[in-house]
Amino acid sequence: MSTKPSANHSAASVDCDEKPFAGLEDMYAFDAESMLAEPGVFPFTRGVHREMYRKKLWTMRQFAGFGSAQQTNERFKFLLDKGQTGLSTAFDLPTLMGRDSDDSLSLGEVGRCGVAISSLDDMRRLYDGIDLSRVSTSMTINAPAAIILAFYVCVAEEQGHGPDELRGTLQNDILKEFHAQNEYVFPPGPSVKLVIDTIEYGTHHMPLWNTVSISGYHIREAGATAAEELAFTLADGMEYVRLSQERGLDVDDFSQRLSFFFDVHNDFFEEIAKLRAARRIWANVMRDRFGAKNDRSLWCRMHCQTAGVTLTEQQPMNNVVRVALQAMAAVLGGTQSLHTNSMDETLALPTEEAVKVALRTQQIIAHESNVTQTVDPCGGSYFIEKLTNEMEAKANAIFDQIDAMGGVLKAIDRGYFRRAIAESAMMENKRIESGAQAIVGVTDFVDEESHGMETLKIGQDVEDAQVASLKQLKADRDQKRWRASLDHLRDLAREGANVMPALIAAAKADATVGEMMETMKGVFGAYDGGPEW
Amino acid sequence: MKRPIRILLAKIGLDGHDRGVKVLARSFREAGFEVIYTGLWQTCEATMYAAMQEDVDIVGASLLSAAHMTVVPELVRYRRELGVENIPILLGGIIPETDHETVLGMGVAAIFNPGASTADIVTRIREMVASSRSESDEDLVRGYKNREPVSLARLITRLQRDGLPGGIDLEQGKATIVGVTGAPGVGKSSFIGKLGGALRERGLKVAVLAVDPTSPINGGALLGDRLRMMRGKPDADFFIRSVASGDVQGGLGPKSEEIIRLFDGFDFDVVLVETVGAGQSDFTVREIVDHVLLLVMPESGDAIQFSKAGIMEIATHFVLNKCDLDGADATHAQMIGALGDSRPIWRISTINGEGIGDVADWLVQSRSR
Repeated sequence: MSTKPSANHSAASVDCDEKPFAGLEDMYAFDAESMLAEPGVFPFTRGVHREMYRKKLWTMRQFAGFGSAQQTNERFKFLLDKGQTGLSTAFDLPTLMGRDSDDSLSLGEVGRCGVAISSLDDMRRLYDGIDLSRVSTSMTINAPAAIILAFYVCVAEEQGHGPDELRGTLQNDILKEFHAQNEYVFPPGPSVKLVIDTIEYGTHHMPLWNTVSISGYHIREAGATAAEELAFTLADGMEYVRLSQERGLDVDDFSQRLSFFFDVHNDFFEEIAKLRAARRIWANVMRDRFGAKNDRSLWCRMHCQTAGVTLTEQQPMNNVVRVALQAMAAVLGGTQSLHTNSMDETLALPTEEAVKVALRTQQIIAHESNVTQTVDPCGGSYFIEKLTNEMEAKANAIFDQIDAMGGVLKAIDRGYFRRAIAESAMMENKRIESGAQAIVGVTDFVDEESHGMETLKIGQDVEDAQVASLKQLKADRDQKRWRASLDHLRDLAREGANVMPALIAAAKADATVGEMMETMKGVFGAYDGGPEW
Repeated sequence: MKRPIRILLAKIGLDGHDRGVKVLARSFREAGFEVIYTGLWQTCEATMYAAMQEDVDIVGASLLSAAHMTVVPELVRYRRELGVENIPILLGGIIPETDHETVLGMGVAAIFNPGASTADIVTRIREMVASSRSESDEDLVRGYKNREPVSLARLITRLQRDGLPGGIDLEQGKATIVGVTGAPGVGKSSFIGKLGGALRERGLKVAVLAVDPTSPINGGALLGDRLRMMRGKPDADFFIRSVASGDVQGGLGPKSEEIIRLFDGFDFDVVLVETVGAGQSDFTVREIVDHVLLLVMPESGDAIQFSKAGIMEIATHFVLNKCDLDGADATHAQMIGALGDSRPIWRISTINGEGIGDVADWLVQSRSR
C-alpha cells in the first residue's frame, strides 16, 4: 500500500539548526519592551488588537467565482447561508487581463477560473439580491482593478448606497504582478499611477474600503522563500505609501486602508514567525520612515490563505490535513481574515462539498480548539522569538538590496524579483527531487492506485452565452454617450489626472472592461515583461 | 557534430502561472538541452510557427487554465498545417486524469502532471527524440529552393550539425545584414521585434538570428530572445531563429555567417543579428554585417566610460532605448559629447514604439542607395 520514507527529512525551507532546541542564548539581541510588548501595543508583534479573537474572530472568507455572473451569485448566496462572513470574488482570466469575453485571446477561458465580468451589466447580475451595504466584499483583480471598483460603486449606487457605505477590499496590487503572477497590462510606471488613483479616490470617498491588498501570496506560490515573500511584499507596500505621499496625501489618511495578504505554507513555526515579523517591521517603517502618527496607520492588518502550491493531486484527502495545519498557523500568527483552500483545488475549481469542508476547518479551529482564548499563545517561546527576529533580519537585508538598486521599480526593470523567485523555486524543486524534502503521497508513502475525484466542470455554454450578451450590450447602448465617455477617459489619462471619475462615467455609459483598457493602453503603452532569466 | 536536444516551451492563452515552466526550462538546460521559451500569452498558431522556424525536436505546452480541451486540437491543427507533424507535443500543468485519454487521443505524445520528476521527463524526451528525424538531403535542398520555410529551418539544423548538403551555393545576395549589440537588459530583443515589425510594414522580408550563451558547464542553453520578438500574428516573411553560442567566442554562434547567407539566399531583404550581449567581447559581428547598431539606455553608466570601451568603436550607429525613462536627455547629451563624431544616435522606446519608425526608414533608404 505505501512505501517507506526515503530519508530522514527536514521540513520545508527553514535552515536546520545544529541545536535541537532554542534557548535563552538565542535571545542575546532581544529586547522584549521594544520588540515584543503586549498585544495591541507598538510594535504590534503580538497582534494589532489587545483582545484579538476573544473579541472578534477572524473573517472567514472563501474565494469563489466561476462561470457566469448568475452562477457565482448563487455560490455567494450558498456561502452566506452556510455562515461565511464576507464575500470574495474570483474573476476569470480574460477579466483579470482586462479583456472582454469576446476577445480572440479569451477563447476557451471565459468563466473557467472565475467569473466573467465585461460590463456593468455583468456586475449587476453578480451582486443581485445582495445588499452591498451589509456585506464586506473582496475582489481579487489587479490590472483592471480601478475599472472593477468603478463597476462596484455604480452597482451600490443603483441599490441606493453611497461609496462611503461600502466595506471590502480590492486586491489592486500591481507590483506583485510584475514579480510573480504576470497579470500586468501597462508598463510598471503607469500601472502604479493607476493604483495611486484608486488610493486617492478611496481616501476621499470610501473611508471603509481597503484600497490595496498588498500581496505576498502569489510571490510565495511562484517559488519565493518565506523571507522573500515577507520582504518583497513589505517593500511593495512602502512603494505605494511613498507614491501616495508624493501625490500629496497625508499618510494617516490613507495608510489605514492598506492591508496585506500572505501565504501560509507548510513550515508551521516559520509561518507564525513571518506574520509576527510582518507586523513589527511595518509598524517601525510606518512610524520612522513615513512619519505616521496614528496607531492604526502602523497596523499591518492581514488576510491569509493556505498555500495552494502545497496541495497534491495524489491522495487528495491528505490536503484537508495540510490545510488545517496551515490554517492553524495563520490563526496563531494573528491574521484578521482567512481563506482555506479546498482539497480538490489542484484539479479544478472546488466543488460545493469541498468548499464546505474547507470552511468547516476554520470553524473547528475557531469554535472547538480553544486557541482563540489567549492572544499570541506562541509569544515568548525562545524558538518563535528567534525565528521572528531572523525573519526581520532577512527582510531588512533584502530591503537594503532593493534600495541599493534604486527602489522597487528599478529592481523590476532589472528583473531582480523574477530572478530571485525563479531561483528559489528551482532550489525547492531540487530539494524535493533529491529526496531532501518529502511530499507525502508523492515522493514518499505513495499509493499504487490513484483515487480520482469528482471535479467541477464548466461548460462551453457559459462562454457562448456571455459572448452573446456582450454583443447585445454593444448593439443596444447609447453610442454617442459611450464614445464620449471613452474620449473623456483618454483625455484624463493623457493629462495625468486621476481617472476614477472617468471610469465611473464610462461604466455607466456601458463601456466594457476591454474598451477602457484599450483606451488607457493607447496612452500608457503595453508591457511585455522584464528580463526573464 | 552531435546537436543538443532542442525543446520549445510555451505558455498558451492568458494564464500567467509560469513557475512550473520556468523550473522545467532551467532543469532542461542543466540536462544539456537548448530551451526556447516563448513567454506568456502565446496563441496556438504562434507556438507552432515558432516550433517550425526553430526546428525543435519537441514542444512542451504548459496549461493551468483548464483550457486544454480547446487548446490541444488547435495546436495539433497548426502542427499539421505547417508541415511539422514530426514534432511531438508534450503537455504539462493541470490536466485532470479524467481528460488524459481524450487529450492523448487528440495527438499529444505525453502528459506530465505536477509530481512528475524532471529526471523522468528528461528520460522520456530523450527516448522520443532518438527515434525522429528522417528527411533526405534532396528533399531539403528542393524545399529550400522552393522557398519552403520548413526546409530553411531544417537546413539550418543540418548546417550546424553536419554541414551543408551538396546543391546549395552560399553567395552574397541582396540582403542588408544588421548586427544589434549591447549590454544585457538594454532591450535588444524587444528592439529587434519592434524594428522587424516596422520593416514588415514597409514591405521588407525580415530574418532574425538571435544568439544566446551556452552554459560551459552542462552544454545547455536558455534561448529567451525570441519571446520579446514574437508579438502579433505569425508571418511567413518574419523568420526568427534562435541559436546557442556553443564554444564560439565573440558574441556569435557556430556557422553564423553561413546561416546569414542561407537567409540571404532565401530572399530575405534584411537580416537582423542579435549578439550574445556580453558587451565587450561582441566583436566578431562586425566582420559579417553591413551595419552595427549599439543599444544603450539611460543611466547606463558614465558615457565617457563606455567611450573608452572597444565596443563603441565597432558601432556604426547608436540607439538610445528606454527614452520614456528619466535621464534619457542627460545620457543623450553625454553620448554626443563622448563620441565627438558624426555617427547617428537614434532615440527610441520599445515600450511605446517611439523612434522605431525612424530606424526602419533609414534601413529602407540605405538599401535604395
